[in-house]
Amino acid sequence: MDIEIKDFMGMKVIAPSGEIDMQSSPELRKALMLFVNEKVPVLYVDFTAVEYIDSSGIATFVEGLKGMRPYGGKLKFFNIPEGIMEIFSFSKLDKVFGIYGNIDDAFKD
Amino acid sequence: MKDSVTVTFPSHPKYLSAIRSLAEKMCLICGMTDPEAEDVKLAVDEACSNVIKHAYKGDTANKIVVKFRTGRKGFEVVIEDSGLKADPAFIRGRDLDDVRPGGLGIHLIKRAFDVFEFDELRKKGNRLRLIRHLKDSRENEMTAQEL
Repeated sequence: MDIEIKDFMGMKVIAPSGEIDMQSSPELRKALMLFVNEKVPVLYVDFTAVEYIDSSGIATFVEGLKGMRPYGGKLKFFNIPEGIMEIFSFSKLDKVFGIYGNIDDAFKD
Repeated sequence: MKDSVTVTFPSHPKYLSAIRSLAEKMCLICGMTDPEAEDVKLAVDEACSNVIKHAYKGDTANKIVVKFRTGRKGFEVVIEDSGLKADPAFIRGRDLDDVRPGGLGIHLIKRAFDVFEFDELRKKGNRLRLIRHLKDSRENEMTAQEL
């Protein structure tokens, strides 16, 4: 997995690519927590290039969200591939994360 | 005709991608659709991750044996380790409505497999047997012997 950090119109966007599993999720956690510790108000995650995610990757995002809630931060996902969206729905995580079809919808909300 | 493939992996998370690739290929050989193979691949990954995390407590110097067996009616995966014994009574996922890190893997395993059972007679380590009934036979109860 690789992680690209983008600054889009002043917004922070994390764009992981490849497979997020037990091996790679610590790196994702490090990137997420960097922004959580800075109390970034909204953190966007671009899923376009994510090919696979397991429960350790999902747990990492849940942990990030839990870290943001005390200061009112939001975690917004966009461009989630169908197979990954199906896992989010099964896990009922589509109810707790902000999920959007594309970057524009995520920014507008 | 029954085919089986057995591989031994080091208990290091960096090998999970290799386990996943093999699991997916075995599913496709067995005639599963791509979405079915994705579900099984994820479940096998979750089961092996659990071995690393819970049975071996993160120790990467051990072995995980994964055996795939395909038959006319089902697809079986047996995962063996020599780590700390799992207590099936305490293996349960979190309530899916209770959103917190962890506790999801077991749901993902049980979603993909019809049978999830530990060999309680095994003296050292764990042997987890997972069976997925193939489409035509999913409504029928089957044991590993009937595969």
